[in-house]
Amino acid sequence: MWPKVPEGKESPQSSPVPVQAPMNAGVGSLASVVAPVVMNPASLPSQIPQSSAISAGLRIRGEITGHSDLLIDGQVQGSIRLANSKVTVGPHGSVQADIEAREIVIEGKIRGNLNASENIRLGPKSDVQGSMLTPRVAIEDGARLRGKVEMLRPGEAKRGAAAGQSKTSVISTPIAALKE
Amino acid sequence: MNWMAKQRFGVSAATAPREPAHKPGPATAVAAAPPANHRTSNGLKEFLWLINDVRNGRILDLGQVSQATLTFFIEKGYRISTEDFLRSWKEFLTAEEERLRLAPAGDEGDKISQARLAEMFLEGSLHYPEESFHGVLAWDLFDYFDAELLPRVMERLYSLLHPAGALLAMFHSRPAERFHRYRIVNPQTIELLPAPTLAVHARVFQNREILDLFGKFRSSKTFVGRDQLREALFLK
Repeated sequence: MWPKVPEGKESPQSSPVPVQAPMNAGVGSLASVVAPVVMNPASLPSQIPQSSAISAGLRIRGEITGHSDLLIDGQVQGSIRLANSKVTVGPHGSVQADIEAREIVIEGKIRGNLNASENIRLGPKSDVQGSMLTPRVAIEDGARLRGKVEMLRPGEAKRGAAAGQSKTSVISTPIAALKE
Repeated sequence: MNWMAKQRFGVSAATAPREPAHKPGPATAVAAAPPANHRTSNGLKEFLWLINDVRNGRILDLGQVSQATLTFFIEKGYRISTEDFLRSWKEFLTAEEERLRLAPAGDEGDKISQARLAEMFLEGSLHYPEESFHGVLAWDLFDYFDAELLPRVMERLYSLLHPAGALLAMFHSRPAERFHRYRIVNPQTIELLPAPTLAVHARVFQNREILDLFGKFRSSKTFVGRDQLREALFLK
């Protein structure tokens, strides 16, 4: 079972029963809106949630860090650093943030730089404005990209991710400049 | 070695060794007919030859982003930037029309000339440092620009090109029957992808008009295809 967490201390493991985030919440704190996705607890190999979601109708401003995979179908503004995880921007997702992750999948809209240590995939309705830095990229027909693509050897990407440092600044446009 | 220098030394893309488009194996000894939407591109062949000497070169692709084109250049060691220029232009015009539609009646101050529209659009597009690209793929975009946007885009692209950089463009010899996107299949083949019409074909350029339009460029070369598509290569 899950270990007890001291009261008042926020932890992603604190909710053994998955919480469905409210659909019509406004701007809120990350702890209240980044909710674990519904999944069978017995299937969890560790105490860290496998995936979290920001549902459609939610808006978040701030920095997202951690070790969980993340699905974004709401709106996010700020930065997302999940170096060992997968970040998916769903078809309804709208993100104004740099994303650093192991794997990045874009089906929605993003204004920001993408830095993936393994791969980036742009779906057919994706709309990306920003630079991409990754060893592998897959772009489906219909995707829209306005920015630079730079490929790294896997070793280079891993070193950058392991050090927790984004290399995007080397190649990127500042977010402020991307805002319309 | 740039285009002019290469020409002085008697080398051209036609005579220079280059990688084969396909490595024929025993099973492909009898070449199959290429797909109908593939076209041999001498312009692309020459474009690649011109930028071949550049190490870590940078390419600007102004068409729709394509996995094939990206992979093609990345595997050759280039860095590539993409900007779906025509789509951005269309979206900009749509947004402006909407703004005008919502403006109070009789508000004359909101009427904007085509020249001002072009300037406003370029204030938010093609923002890169000067001389940052060794090659620009403009495809057939120039056929779709109005008379105000066209020279301004040309000026901007010229400034973005590295000295000795090359620009590849295509011009229809008659109004395009349908709208296409383009992607690179191999070093001498381009694939034409039918696509929803983003813009109306604005004009058919005469050769003299093309040369005038690109007058700032040091040198140019034109390739006439059988499919009413002329390819033009310009060297800064």
